Order: sequence, then C-alpha cells, then structure tokens
Amino acid sequence: MNQTMPAHVKNIHPFAHYVDRLLEGGTLLPDTPDNVLEVMGALDSYGVVLNRYSINLIHIADHQFLNLFPVFKYLDGEINPAKMWQHFCHDRINYEYAEYTMKAMMWHGGGGLDAYLDTDEFRENCQVAIAAKIKFNPMLQIFHRAFPEFLIEQIRQLAYYSGLGQFWRVMSDIFTSLTDRYLRGEIKHIIQIVDHVKDGLVADAARPITYSVDIGGETYDLLPPSAGLTFLPDTAIPYVESIFFRGTPFLGTVSYNAQAQQISPDKSRFAYGALYADPLPVGGSGIPPTLLMQDMFRHLPDYLEAHYLKTDRGLGDVRVKICASFQRSMFCVTNAALIGLLPAGAGATEPEAVAANREFLQGWMDRLAASQLEQVQTP
Amino acid sequence: MLSALLLIPLLGALAVVCWPTKLTSQQAKNVSIVFLVLNFLASLYLLSQFDLSVTGLQFQESVPWLETLGLGYELGIDGLSLPLLIINSLLSLVAVYSSDADMRRPRLYYFLLLIITFAVAGAFVAQNLLLFFIFYELELIPLYLLIAIWGGPQRGYAATKFLIYTALSGILILASFLGLVWLSGASSFDYSATMANGLPWIQQAVLLAALLIGFGIKIPLFPLHTWLPDAHVQASTPISVLLAGVLLKLGTYGLFRFGVCTFSEVWVDLAPYLAWWAVVSVLYGSLAAIAQTDMKKMVAYSSVGHMGYVLLAAASANPLSYVGAVFQMLSHGFISALLFLLVGVVYKKTGTRDLNVLRGLLNPERGLPVIGSAMVLAVMASAGIPGMVGFISEFIVYRGSFVSFAPQTLLCLLGSGLTAVYFLLLVNRAFFGRLASTESQTGVQDPVLPVVTWQDRAPALVLVALLFVFGLSPSWMTRWIEPTTTAMYDAMPVKLDRDRHPAYRTSQLLDAPLGIADASIDVVTCSNGDCAL
Repeated sequence: MNQTMPAHVKNIHPFAHYVDRLLEGGTLLPDTPDNVLEVMGALDSYGVVLNRYSINLIHIADHQFLNLFPVFKYLDGEINPAKMWQHFCHDRINYEYAEYTMKAMMWHGGGGLDAYLDTDEFRENCQVAIAAKIKFNPMLQIFHRAFPEFLIEQIRQLAYYSGLGQFWRVMSDIFTSLTDRYLRGEIKHIIQIVDHVKDGLVADAARPITYSVDIGGETYDLLPPSAGLTFLPDTAIPYVESIFFRGTPFLGTVSYNAQAQQISPDKSRFAYGALYADPLPVGGSGIPPTLLMQDMFRHLPDYLEAHYLKTDRGLGDVRVKICASFQRSMFCVTNAALIGLLPAGAGATEPEAVAANREFLQGWMDRLAASQLEQVQTP
Repeated sequence: MLSALLLIPLLGALAVVCWPTKLTSQQAKNVSIVFLVLNFLASLYLLSQFDLSVTGLQFQESVPWLETLGLGYELGIDGLSLPLLIINSLLSLVAVYSSDADMRRPRLYYFLLLIITFAVAGAFVAQNLLLFFIFYELELIPLYLLIAIWGGPQRGYAATKFLIYTALSGILILASFLGLVWLSGASSFDYSATMANGLPWIQQAVLLAALLIGFGIKIPLFPLHTWLPDAHVQASTPISVLLAGVLLKLGTYGLFRFGVCTFSEVWVDLAPYLAWWAVVSVLYGSLAAIAQTDMKKMVAYSSVGHMGYVLLAAASANPLSYVGAVFQMLSHGFISALLFLLVGVVYKKTGTRDLNVLRGLLNPERGLPVIGSAMVLAVMASAGIPGMVGFISEFIVYRGSFVSFAPQTLLCLLGSGLTAVYFLLLVNRAFFGRLASTESQTGVQDPVLPVVTWQDRAPALVLVALLFVFGLSPSWMTRWIEPTTTAMYDAMPVKLDRDRHPAYRTSQLLDAPLGIADASIDVVTCSNGDCAL
C-alpha cells in the first residue's frame, strides 16, 4: 500500500498527520474515555448556559430596544423584588459574557450580517424604527438630530445581540440533544460527538436570521427575511472566526507591550480565540472566560464534577479545568465545522476530491499551528 | 506570676521529652501547642494586670540564688519588656503551629522550641545581669541544634557560623557586664540603671563598645550581620519565624536596656556616630536585599535594614524616638515573622525560593492566592504603607530622630524607599505573570501546586490582622511602652544636647526658623500617654 501511494501525498506540513487523521475519519481530539467524559460534561453545562445567554440576548434585542439605560436588561423582563435580590446576591448567570462575545463578534465582523448592517436598506429600516420609537420623546429627538449615527450604531449592536442569540439558540439545542443521547448511553466516542454537531449544523444551515421589533403594537423589520441572511454563512462562520480563532487579548493574560508590537495591528492575524487561549489564567478577575467558566460551574453535571474531584486540587482549580475541558469540546465543534465545510464532502474517495479536501484542511492547519491543538493531545 | 511564663514552656519541654508513651510527631506538636496556648493566655493575663501608672518594674520576684557569685533570681517587667514578652509567647505559638506535622525526631524538636521560648522569656524578664546573660546564652544551644539538625543542605556551616558569632557576642556582653560590676563596685549583678554613674568616661566607653559589638552581632548591624542570611536560609520556617520575630529583638532589647540607659553619658556623645552606623546598616541591608534572588535571603537582608531603624531611634535619645525604637522592634517582629512564614509556605508548596524560577503564584485557581495576597500586605506593611503597623513604627522613629539627626534620618528614609523596591521586585517576580512549572513538574502541561490548607494560612492571617490592628490603632501598643520609655529618658543623667556637637550647631541655625526646634521641645514634653500620635 505504501509503495503504491503517490509521492506528493507525503507531506512535509508539521500538522499533516492531523489532516491524515481527519481524512481517515478520525478526529482532532484523541478518542479516549476521559476525553469523551470531559467533552460531554463541558457541552452538557455549556448547553444549559447557552440557552440562558440566548434567551437574554434576544430579550435585550427585542425588549430593550433603544433603551439607553437598560438597568433591568439581565432580568429577562421578570422585574420583582425576589429576582432583584437574587441578582444582587450574584445568584445569577453572568450575562456579561454573552455581551462580551457579541461585541467581539461585532468588532471582528465578517459574513452577510456584517455586510448588511452597512447597507442603505438597513439605514432605512433603522430610521423608520427610530422615528417610531422616539415619536413621543423630544429629548431623544434632539439627541438623534445632534448625533444621527448614534442610535443607528446602537441598532447595529442590537442586531448582533439578536444574531448571536439566534445562533446560540441552535447551538444550545444541538448540545442539549447531544447530552440527552449521552445520558441514554448512545455516545461512546469522540467521532459520535463530532457527527452529532456536524449534523446539527447542516440541518440548520439555511435557517433564516431575522430581526424585528415591536413598537407601539406595530412590527418593524430591521433584518427582514428579504435580506436573505442565514444561519451558517452569516452567523456561524463569523462566530467561529471571531470567537474561536481571533478573539481579543485580555489584560493580565497577554502582554500589551506596544513597542514590541506584541499585539498585531492587523486583527485578521489575531490568535486569542477559544482554540488558542491559555486556560491557566482563567479564574482571575476581569477576564471574560472566568465568567463563562463560573456559569458552567454552576451547571456542571455530577459526573464531570466527580471526575475533577479525583485530581490534586479537586474543585480548587475547577475553572481552569472546565476551561481545559471546554477547549477540548470546542476542538470537536471546530472538527465538525471543518468536516461539514470540506469542499468535496466527507466521504470523498476520488483522488482529486481527496486532494482538494487535503488542501482545504492544510489551509486550516496553518491557522491551528499556534493553537492549543498539540496540548489537547495529551491525556 | 512572671515565673509562670518561664515554668509553662519549661514544663512543656519536659512533658514532651518525658512523655511516658510513644509520641507521634502530631501528638508532640499538640502537647506543645497546649502548653504554648496556656503560656500565651498567661501573658495576656499579665497584660491585663499591668499597671500603667507605675513606670518602674512590676511583678517583681526576688529569690537569692548564688549570692557569692552575685547571681540572684531577680525578675521584673516594665513597658519595655512586656510587649516583647507577649510577642514571644505569640510567635512561639505560631512557630509550633506552623511546624510540619511529620517532623523527624519530634520530641527533641519541640523540646528545643519550648526551651527557646523559655530562654527568651527569661532574658526579657531577668533583672540580674548574670541571669540575663544565662538566658541569653541558653537560647543559643537549642537554636544551634534546630538549625544543625532540621536545616537545609548547608545547615552545618550556617549553624556553626551562627554559634561562633553569637558566642562571641555572648563573651563581649559578659565581659562588659563583669567590667561594669567590678568597676562600679556593686556587690551583686542585680541590674540598676544607675550602675555606671560616676565611672570615668573612657571606662564607660569601653564597656559600651563591648556591649555595642556584642548586641550588634545579635541585632545584627552591618558588618556583623553575615551569620543572619546564612542562618535564615538554612533554618526551617518556624525557626526563621522565631529568629526574626523574637531572637533578634534580644539584641535591641539588651542594647536599649543595658546600653542606652546605663551608659547614657557616653551614649549621647557617640549618638551621631551610632546614627551614621544605623544609616550604613539600613542602606547596606536594603541594597543587599535588592541583589538577592532567594526570597528568604531577601527577607533576611531586609531584617538587617529594618533593625537599623531601632539603632537610629535609640541613638536619637528623645522620648518619642524611644517609643519608636520599641515600636519598631515589635512591628519588625510581626512583619518579619509574617514574611518568613509566607516564604515558608511558598517553599513548602513549590519546592523553591528562587525568584528566577517562581512566577505567577497569585494565580487564583492553581497558585497560592491567599498566601500571595498576605505577602502583598506584608510587604506593604514592611515598606511603610499607611494604615499598617510598619508605617506607624517608621513614622515614630523618623519623627523622633529627625529632630536629633536630620541627615541620618533622611538617609534612612531612603532605606524605607528601597524596601518598596526590593519587595516589589519580589512580588513582581514571584507572584505576577503566568504560573510557572516547578522543577518537579517539568513536562506537565499545566502546573498544579499542592493545595494550601487553612492550617498553612491561619497563622499568616492572624499576623496580617495584627498588622492592621496596630496600624490603625497604634495607641494600643504605645500605651504600654510610652510611660516606661519616658521614665527612662527622664532618668538619663545626661540628655542628648544639641549644643554639645559642632555638627548640630550649624543645623540648629537652619532649624530654628522652620520651627523644628519647637517640635523637639514638644516631643520632649509629651509624656501623658498618647504622645504626638
């Protein structure tokens, strides 16, 4: 077999073995029982957390529309003393993380959503909605006249709230159904997790992304169905690009030495995303991953907690451990996306098709070279 | 009552050694803790019974012993020894509590620790020169053994060096005491502040010089300090805590009680030179600390620097600076004990004290965040951040010494500034940044340090609390000290007279229009308790 293999297949790319593994139907993350447990535990709690993030993001987009002082935006419309007390005692989900993610996505842009927000059509939609919203508010009318871009930019941000909320709605459902399958004992291998995620992404690929608000009993479309925005190209791919790959550097985890140009001036070369992040500083104050890990810790399944308790520090360093497990699970999601995006399809056997797939994957391996891919190969 | 403070640790030591059944390390520790808790309670009881209106000795006990030798069992305390006695009880308890649970040869170890508590307490309460000397020497033997048996790899060298230096210190002190008694024609070694009155200046000067060198070794002052960093680096954590927290104070206590008050005539003549000596010691200690990469050595050199403030305050010879001298002893006791305790925890958990290796220990999940935070507070206290005990002590010292020796005080202030430099280097290197893998974990993806237990943290947190308590309410400390130091000042037959030295005459011209001369008068006249605080 080796002798009959064409010479050009022997590749000098240092990550070529990962490409081979993917083309042979393997996974980026090694298929070990511990990995399955950690990834499933992480996705289990992540599914619960994403559900809440998604509900809140959509609530803010729909019900806090152009509310310049959204004091109760994290209460999901349930404004009562008991809920507020719970909130003040910090017995709550850290919705700030969802907003951070939304802002990172908006900052990096990309995809049809980003493009549509810069069109004249969108400005028209905004003007109509703004006019309706500030009809009885002379202060805002003066404000809008003085700063005509401000409210439009707010609506762009609200569109991202809504877009990310809709994206996470799908992801949360995928992870929740995956968890159900795992708890029924159907999931034993990493490849099953990858396949489940891939199937979920494919099934919802063409789901439309729309956004409209209700003002005074009338509905105003901001991202109308006619804009033709869909789940996969306009939210999922920009999300993966901006959150998994690029991300943003956090103070305290990355040196900001400007003279040494340690942060690239070109944000397309940013590599601070979920696949690259160092889990060790997680738990420190002031960095967004701490918020996510804290939320996931709130909803950590018992089997993962028992797994963590077997280690030296037990739950003492649980946020770092959750981050490491979460990173492993995100490699599974990346894996699913890569397989789903293969130009010649996953099951291709024709030499030209395989070569096209290989070239596609090698392009991605270049980007993954600096990621934690090597680190997650260890048990 | 004072005998109880000697008997309790002594009985504890005997109990540990003579316990009829086999004692595990933990059991020996528990027995020691029981005795030391009793000891601490007894010292607190003493505090509650202490009469602030009496400036002389209290709780005096007198039992004739070897009258032919002039040795008597003469005990008594005043505002100078009382706080030191209490800090001794407290830090002994801390040292035993923070000892490892599985100590080799536990009986001997706890026996020796309790003997140190006994000997130090004895030295603080002894009012007979020979009795003081016996206790002073008695403390050497257990400390030598504690370093030589339970120390680090170079323990033999460090312990021997310690023994040679401090034995020399003992010989000089004994020589001075003998000379004092013979020359003054006293019939016994019973101490009295007026013993040296009437002796010729040169005789007093020689006796004081012997005391200065003897206690200067113990304090330690540059260039007599070289035993200290070695001893600290090789000693285990509890021993360092005792050494820095209590044992060094024997030097300053001895100098203050037997040097300043007894030889005040010569003392005030030498004062400007002593203040310069303090400057050299402070600056040398601080600069040497900057150059260290071993955390413990850095803290040890900082001790050299900070003990120099005591000499500066003692040399300044005014009521406020005397309060400052005693306050600085206590504040340094708390701070350095805490620093050594924390460095000990870092060493225990990471296996190294090397600042080139340690990184990111403040990592909230995998590092030592509570210990690291306590370390930040301890170095803040040491650098004299307001609100903490180090600020108060340094402020009183400088406030007192500035009126006597302005240039020396300013240079010592520079030493305070350097404290911030080296301790920020320490904190920045060891506690900030990304957590580093230690040598034993090479190759592991993410370093995991052993869990820090509340047993590791508790003594440190108690000391941190005290830093704030006495930093925010210093009068809780000064009220015990101040009556005694003021009485000591009043009893000095010769005061530090600014006209005696040509050096002051010029500075006085400068001072007068600025009102600093007035301040010195204010300082001298405040004697009703809270002083200028």
